[in-house]
Amino acid sequence: MTEEGEHLKFNYFFGLVNLVVVFLIVWFLWYVFMNPNTVMKLYTPMYGFALVVVFVSSIILMSKVLDVSILYHRAVESENPVTKGIILTIIAFGLMLILNYIVFWGFLGKLGIAYFSPGSIVAAGGTGAEPLMARENASIAILYYFTAFLWIALFWSVGLGRWPWQNSGYGIQVWSRFFVIIFFVNIVYVILFHPHVCYLFYPAQDKAGVAAWWEFSGTTSAFFGLGLALCSLFWIIASDLLWEGYPWKNMEKDGEGTFLKGVVAFFATLVLGIITVYILTRIMNVFWDEAFMGGQYTDGPDFRYIHTGEICGFFILAIFILKHYFNNFPNLASIWARTVIRTVIAIAGGLLIYLFYYSPATTFFLAKVPGVAQPDDKPLVWALLFLSIILVQSEFFDGWPLKRK
Amino acid sequence: MKRRTFLKSMAATGVAASMTGAMIPKEAAARKKLDIGEIKGLKIDVLTETSWFNNDVFKKNIMDYGGANTNQYTIPWQWDNAGGYAVLITVTTLEGNERKFMMDFGWNNDWMDYIYEEKSEVASLIEKDAIEFWVLSHWHLDHYWGVESTLKRKQDLTLYAPKTYYPEDMALLKDKAHHTAKNKETGQMDHICKNDYPHKGKLVLCDPKGENKEGIYRVMPGVAIRNFDVPILLRVRGENVLYFNVKDKGIVTVTGCCHPGILSLFSYARKNFKDYKPYGCYGGLHISLFETWDPKFDDIIKGVKSFKIQKLGCNHCTGWIWAEKAAESGVPVVKGTDKYKSYKKYSTVAKTSNVFLTNGDTVTF
Repeated sequence: MTEEGEHLKFNYFFGLVNLVVVFLIVWFLWYVFMNPNTVMKLYTPMYGFALVVVFVSSIILMSKVLDVSILYHRAVESENPVTKGIILTIIAFGLMLILNYIVFWGFLGKLGIAYFSPGSIVAAGGTGAEPLMARENASIAILYYFTAFLWIALFWSVGLGRWPWQNSGYGIQVWSRFFVIIFFVNIVYVILFHPHVCYLFYPAQDKAGVAAWWEFSGTTSAFFGLGLALCSLFWIIASDLLWEGYPWKNMEKDGEGTFLKGVVAFFATLVLGIITVYILTRIMNVFWDEAFMGGQYTDGPDFRYIHTGEICGFFILAIFILKHYFNNFPNLASIWARTVIRTVIAIAGGLLIYLFYYSPATTFFLAKVPGVAQPDDKPLVWALLFLSIILVQSEFFDGWPLKRK
Repeated sequence: MKRRTFLKSMAATGVAASMTGAMIPKEAAARKKLDIGEIKGLKIDVLTETSWFNNDVFKKNIMDYGGANTNQYTIPWQWDNAGGYAVLITVTTLEGNERKFMMDFGWNNDWMDYIYEEKSEVASLIEKDAIEFWVLSHWHLDHYWGVESTLKRKQDLTLYAPKTYYPEDMALLKDKAHHTAKNKETGQMDHICKNDYPHKGKLVLCDPKGENKEGIYRVMPGVAIRNFDVPILLRVRGENVLYFNVKDKGIVTVTGCCHPGILSLFSYARKNFKDYKPYGCYGGLHISLFETWDPKFDDIIKGVKSFKIQKLGCNHCTGWIWAEKAAESGVPVVKGTDKYKSYKKYSTVAKTSNVFLTNGDTVTF
C-alpha cells in the first residue's frame, strides 16, 4: 500500500475516540497518583513533578537511546503489540522507580551529592532540613537533571541518530550513544541547574555552586534555564514530528546523521528556543505588564520563564496529539504547505490546551485552584503525564489499537 | 477562564503570529490614578503572629495529608501547635482622632482568648465597641479559624473578607459549623475548627473590581483595601491587603500573609495611587515560610531595595532567615523585642536577632 493510500485509510474518528480514551486514562492516573485530595497525593508539587519527568525520560531512554524495540523483538518472538506494550510499560515504570529511588536517592545522593537524596539532606541537619522540604528539594534537582536528559536525548535522536556509530553493531551503537548523551547532560545540568539547587539551602552552598550567572535575565532562579530548555525542545520535536526531520535531513549522508547536521540542528533549535522565550515573555508583558526582580506570581521573572516552558509543553503535547491521533494532518503534496499548516495547528492546539488548563474545568478534573502562577501549581506535571501515555501507546504498543497491520 | 481573558489570548495569538515587534503595544496607557486620602499616623499592635509554634510539626501535617495543594479542611491539624495571626490597627486621622480596627482572627480559639484577655486590651476594646470593623486577609486556617473567639464577643461586627471563599469557610462564619478531618492513623474524625456564634453583621465580600470599579474599598480617608485574586496553597484563593497613605511619608501596606508578593503590592500602588511614595510595610511577607531558601528569595531582597521601602516590619510567614539576610543586605528591617518570651508559648525558630516584630511588639508609621 502506498503512503498516500495509508493516509486515506486513516480513520480520524477513531483517532478522536482514542484521544478521548487517553484523556480518561490520564484523568484516572491523576486521580490515583496526583490529585491532592484523593489517593496517593504525590503532587506536592515537586515530588510528583520529578516522578513524571523521570517516567517520560525512562520511555525516551528505552525508545530513542537504547532502541529497546530491537532488543525486544530479538528476545520475544511474538508480534503482538499488546504483549509488547505491557511488558515495556512495566519495564519503563520499573526503570522510573530504579532511577528515582535507587540511582538518585539511594546511590548518588547517599554516596556523592547529598541534595539528590532527601535522607542525606535531613541527615545533614541545619535550617529547613526536614522531610517535606528535603523531598521537594531533591525532587527539584532530579527533575532538572532529567529535563537536561530529555533535551539532549531528543536532540540526539533528531540531529544525529546513530552517528557516528552507524556502522557498528547494536550494542556499541546504543551504549556509546547512552554514555555520550549522559556526558552532555551532565554539562547542561551543571551549567544551567546545579547553581540553583545549591542555593535551595541556607546558607547557600556557594563553594559547590556559583551564584546564578544568568542574573541578567532578572532572576537567579533556574526557571530561566528550564524555560529555555523546553522552548528549544519544542522546536526539536516540531522538526522531528511535524517537519518530518527537515531541514536537518538535508545535511544527512546516506540516510544517516552527520556532525554538521547535529551541530546545525542543536544551535538552530537553541536559537529558535531563545527567540520563543523572547516572544512569549513580550506577549506576557502585554497582559501582565513587565515583570521585575523580586516580583511574585505573574510579576516574577522566574514565573515568566517557566511559563514559557509550560506553554511550549502544551505545544509539544499538541504536536504529539496531531501526529498520533490525527495522522499528522494535513498530508499535502507540498512539504512546505504541510509543515507550515501542521505547525499552525499544533500552536493553536497548544493554546486550546492552555485555555483548558486555566479554565474552571480543571477544578473538577485536577482539583486545581482557579488562577494563574500559584507557586505550587506546575502545569507541566499534567502535560507530561498526558504525554507519557501517548508515548507508551506509540512507542511500546506500536500505536495499538489505532494502528493495525 | 473568563471570556475577556479568552479574547485576550486570541489577540495575543494574532500578535505572536505576526512576528513583528511593531504590532506589540508599548507601555500601557497612563491609568487614571486614585486619591485615597491621607492619615496622620498608623500604629500596629502585634497581637499574635505565631500562627503555629513548631514549623516541623506544621509541615508534617501538610506532608502527611498530601502537600501544599491539599484542602486545608481535610488535614487533622495537631491542635497543640495551633496559635494564630491577628493585628490591632490604630489610625490617627488628619484631625487627630484615633480609629481602631483589626485584621484577622487567628486559629486556635483558646490561644486567641488568651491573647485578647490576658495579653492585650482587645477584649475590653470589643466590649466598649471601640473596634470599628474587621478585615479578613484571607481564608487560611491560621487567620480565620479562631473567629469564634471574636464573634462570641461581637456577633454583629462589620467584616471585609475575600469573595473567593469555599463552602466550608462560609459555613464556619454563618452556620455554626463544627469541621472535622479524618485522622488516617486512628481512623477517627478529629476536630479542626468550630464556631457557635454565627456572624450577624455587615459582610463586604471583596474582589479585585472594588467599590465603584475603582479596584479598592475605601474604609476611611487614607485607608483602602485591595483584593488580589491569586491562587494560594492549601486550596485557598484571594487575599485582602490594606493600604495606608501617611501624610508626608507615603504608602504603607499591612498584610496577613502577603501571598501576592510585597513588591507586587507596591507595584500596584505605584501604578494606581496618586502621588505615590513608598514608605513601609508590616505583616507576614510569605517568603522563606519554613526557613528554607530559594534563589528567588535573593531576588526579593534586591527588589525590595530597588523599590526603596523605608521601613520593613515583618513576621509570621516571612521567614526569620530571609529577614536576617535582608537586614544584613541593608534593607531597613524594623527590629522587635523579647516581649514574646513572656507569652505562654512562642515559636521554636525565634531568633535573638529580633528581626521579627513578634507577639506584644508595636510599630508606628
